[in-house]
Amino acid sequence: MNKIISVKNLVKTFEGGRVRALNGVNLGVSEGEFIAIMGPSGCGKSTLLHVLGGLESPTSGEVLVCGVDLCRAKKLDSFRARKIGFIFQLHNLISVLTARENVQMPMFELKLSSKERNEKAEKLLRLVGLEDRMDFVSPKLSGGQRQKVAIARALANEPRILLVDEPTGNLDSASGHEIIQIFEELNKDGRTIVLVTHDKEIAEHTSTIYHMKDGQISEK
Amino acid sequence: MRFSTLILKNILRRKTRSAFTVLGISIGIATIIALGAVMNGMTVSMEGMLKSGKADFSVAQSGISDLSFSRVSENRTNEILELDGVKNTAGALIGFYSVGDNPFVLTWGVEKEDFPMLSINIINGSAFSQEYELLIGAVASKEWNKTVGDKLILKEKEFNITGIFESGSIYQDKGVMLSLKKLQEMQNQEGYVTIIYVELEEGASIEEVCQRVEEEFPDLVTIKSVAELGKVDKGLELMDAATLAISFLAVIIGGIGVTNTIMMSVYERTREMGVLRAVGWTKKRILIMILGESILLCLFSVLIGSLLGFLGTELLTLQPIIGGLLEPLYTVDTFARAFVVAFTVGLIGGVYPAYRASKLSPSEALRYE
Repeated sequence: MNKIISVKNLVKTFEGGRVRALNGVNLGVSEGEFIAIMGPSGCGKSTLLHVLGGLESPTSGEVLVCGVDLCRAKKLDSFRARKIGFIFQLHNLISVLTARENVQMPMFELKLSSKERNEKAEKLLRLVGLEDRMDFVSPKLSGGQRQKVAIARALANEPRILLVDEPTGNLDSASGHEIIQIFEELNKDGRTIVLVTHDKEIAEHTSTIYHMKDGQISEK
Repeated sequence: MRFSTLILKNILRRKTRSAFTVLGISIGIATIIALGAVMNGMTVSMEGMLKSGKADFSVAQSGISDLSFSRVSENRTNEILELDGVKNTAGALIGFYSVGDNPFVLTWGVEKEDFPMLSINIINGSAFSQEYELLIGAVASKEWNKTVGDKLILKEKEFNITGIFESGSIYQDKGVMLSLKKLQEMQNQEGYVTIIYVELEEGASIEEVCQRVEEEFPDLVTIKSVAELGKVDKGLELMDAATLAISFLAVIIGGIGVTNTIMMSVYERTREMGVLRAVGWTKKRILIMILGESILLCLFSVLIGSLLGFLGTELLTLQPIIGGLLEPLYTVDTFARAFVVAFTVGLIGGVYPAYRASKLSPSEALRYE
């Protein structure tokens, strides 16, 4: 199967090399795979996710995502807008905007009319079961509902890969279960998902679990 | 949702902070509007004095800083009349006297024979013929509730109102007109006028006649239009300079205020900027959003500042001492200047925060607590 993510000897350092967050990571993820990366705090999970999503540039090594060489690519904004969907532990919704408006945020980079953006946002919110909460601002939504809005937002530009950072970290178990079910459904539709989590129970819903420690990764 | 709606919603997040920023810039804008309107009014007023009736140009004393200081020998009226191309001349003495609450009523001393040239049209009653007789303008008649047959006290002397006149110039029509001789006597200016109005023969070149007047009478200066007003009056130039200085200060002070407001907003929304970059927003879009917020704040200030400027000026002119002297004139130019100032404030004030926001590393912004 084609590797949609291919990482070889990835090193990422901070503070002029004093902090080595990723220390020779090797990882291959096939198209349509749903993997989990587990590990203690500070082991480099989120940094790896940021590098895969083009938010951080690698210090050395080779990173190919959707055929884009992230060590050399210049236009990473466009890469993020079209290939990647990010979901964070803290949903990071814009508090003054409604669910419908938050979902439209990534679509500004596509050539869509205001009406098309709105229709697409409604469709995505129905997909995550929030058809009755479309015009609620985020402070009026529960934690689970906010995370569903964040998932709808991540799907806005139909990315091939979802990079998910502790999506259930702030949720009760029922809401967490609902969220992981949504990811399973999305994966069944062929979406590649890389999930970072502390929660072993959540990780067991994925096909492959990797473990990270001291900036290095190994298959469990 | 439109991008512009997002910009508007961002401004409305911190309503009080935005309101105070808008208020601060609005005060600068209001000052620009008020000064502009007053200056326009004064320009029209001066124009009314300089180009009366059929006159093609006017003549005043050279080297003065205020037209009311002009002192021209009455003989010059006849001497200029003898020049080639000149059809008619009329000398006028201008003074200011207190009438009722108004301490600055424009008072004209002219010969009644010059009324046709000066387009003085008596709409009620007749011209003055005795020493203590005068005409009042149609606007003054309404404001003072006086008509033909009533009395008017001028410099502690009682005058009979023999007629009401209209000239088409609001500043003349708000004033009083009496015989040149009487006003010269009242002002101890016997043999002198403030200004000479000159009407040319058909086909005569205004440039050539003006040049001849200035060559033959070096103590005189000709004024063909209000654009040449600076030759006899520095007041408007000073006011224009003051308006420019205030505009400049408004740009600096307003710019600092806007920078502070937008910068705080950017700091508060650092994490949000990270998210927007993570979902694919370009640096340029972030830059446009922040600049848009800054400019929109300033455009609100134009609206509120214009309203404040208008209301403030109107309130000021309700005072007899000011209202009697000037009539503010609101022109598109004045509002355009306010708009340009506000837009510049928005642009200058927003550039730095917008640049900072666009340069944020998305990864660092996402980690920002």
